[in-house]
Amino acid sequence: MASCAVYSSNHDSVGLAAWGCVTPLGDAAGTLTALLRGERALRAVPVLGREGGDPVPLGLLNNRELDETAPPSWLATIKSRFGPVQEGGWGRPRRPVFVTSSNFGVGCLYAYRRSGDPAFLPFGALPDCVEWLRRELGWGESVTVFSHACVSAHLGLLQASRMIEAGLADAALVFSFDFLSPFVAGGFHALKILNADFPAPYQARATGSIGLGDGAAYAVLARDRGDFTITAQSLHNEMYHFTANRADGAGFVAGLAPVAAVAAGRRVWLKGHGTGTLEAGRLEVDAFGRVFPDAPLVGWKGSLGHTLGSCGLVELALAVEAMRAGRTPGTVGSAAPVFADSVALESFANGAFDGVVCASNAFGGAHAAFLLSHA
Amino acid sequence: MLERFIQELRTDDPGSETPAATRERLKARFAPGSTRRMTLLGMLVGAALGDLPPAGDEPLVYASTFGEGRALEDYLASFPAASPTLFQTSIHPSGVQQGLIGRQRSVGELFPQAGGRQLAVQALLTAMLAPAATVVLAGGEERGTWLVEANAVSDRTFAYAVRLAREPGPRALGRLMLTQEAVTGALAHPAWFERLHRRQPFDGAAAEGWRLQLAWS
Repeated sequence: MASCAVYSSNHDSVGLAAWGCVTPLGDAAGTLTALLRGERALRAVPVLGREGGDPVPLGLLNNRELDETAPPSWLATIKSRFGPVQEGGWGRPRRPVFVTSSNFGVGCLYAYRRSGDPAFLPFGALPDCVEWLRRELGWGESVTVFSHACVSAHLGLLQASRMIEAGLADAALVFSFDFLSPFVAGGFHALKILNADFPAPYQARATGSIGLGDGAAYAVLARDRGDFTITAQSLHNEMYHFTANRADGAGFVAGLAPVAAVAAGRRVWLKGHGTGTLEAGRLEVDAFGRVFPDAPLVGWKGSLGHTLGSCGLVELALAVEAMRAGRTPGTVGSAAPVFADSVALESFANGAFDGVVCASNAFGGAHAAFLLSHA
Repeated sequence: MLERFIQELRTDDPGSETPAATRERLKARFAPGSTRRMTLLGMLVGAALGDLPPAGDEPLVYASTFGEGRALEDYLASFPAASPTLFQTSIHPSGVQQGLIGRQRSVGELFPQAGGRQLAVQALLTAMLAPAATVVLAGGEERGTWLVEANAVSDRTFAYAVRLAREPGPRALGRLMLTQEAVTGALAHPAWFERLHRRQPFDGAAAEGWRLQLAWS
């Protein structure tokens, strides 16, 4: 095994100038309010949409159908909710866009395969989907695309920060999205982790299960602007197994350690990945306990479902809203017994904390984390 | 201006070679039995990276416009009985992860990138901004089958891996410079590969706002 190589990056001068997200529970403020009330976006939906199959927990935007439309119906929500994404001359060399997703428009390729309708094709292939978004949202050509499954959004944040720090961009837009389709629901169902049970992150129970949710988010990063800053970021890739982590949890620790070094001396709360799978959940809780002893840990995918490639940015927007509101939602959907006392099931006041560490994980043992703090 | 020096380079252009022949040619590069579930793209990128393995804390940038074309096609065709193996291997970073997992080689920073006409420059920017003395940039495409006609997967196959360094060292193969200028242009991924494979120089607009200069020693 090669060494566990990790970088941390300090971006004290790069501020979070704007942010937003949309989930089945509403925009960032609306979703936060719903989470604080303990609401769940997930509903039992046939895994293959109109073709049926087992009912599985999915969170669909505006109660849309799981099956994709041509053009994709979710664009209207993006256009109506994400004004800052469409204004400000994004996609120019000094104002680059970083698009991150895991699935892009692949639901349209699924629909094309099942229906034979060529109307789906202009939105299906990865570059076509990004080009369609670019035109629809009024961006120029300076668009960088990252796709690293469920840590995708973190890569956009890190590269955007580096562009600004290097003086190569005045501001950067990070945009992340993933909308469900039978393509992705069928895949996780085939892996048997998307099943009839609703997710209960970090809960000690007999069977693990995840839910999936629609999600999109954006963040505008700019030098010396905003009340919040992404102070440190780290990445680590175990490359142990496609769908499993090293049993000793070393990968989780390696992903968190650089952020912990920057957070030393600060009081932080933790927003974990927490999909609802058992083994990864135990390893994550254990690693957080080792690296950030006594810090309270929450996960929100028991309510929202896993928003896949967008989860890092969706949950960043929610973490910011929680810090502004002074209250952090608990681990919605879970109940005692949990893997450790640090797991917060109920909401708590966060005014005494200096920041939050947000973490995401992905296939291949990919780990990503950042420290979000007041500027 | 950003500047890096090419320290090592591997390219593979199978040309008219059949996928089966390519797999046969490359399988000795991997542990016995490990290639059964590997995709053609995974084997090509894995073999190129096998000669330039990321070492220690060396970041790795992976560029592919379409990623796993054949796994995507086969996964789509597997419905309604979706294949879990094809689902895993159809994700974009799979092409670079397969070889690394097979060799149990962890990586700190891994940046799987996609995109269209700007991909080459955007991947170079990611590599050049990584705070490390050296970076490995790997990439590739895999010719698909039934989705080629729809332009939803790649129509050709290739792979490469290049190690870039901040310092020229005694045996630099070439020099890369990126300069922010008021220019408009594009250097598509296959065209970037050709520059590497044939060691052809380049000097011009390679993306909106970016001039790329590639010179060989």
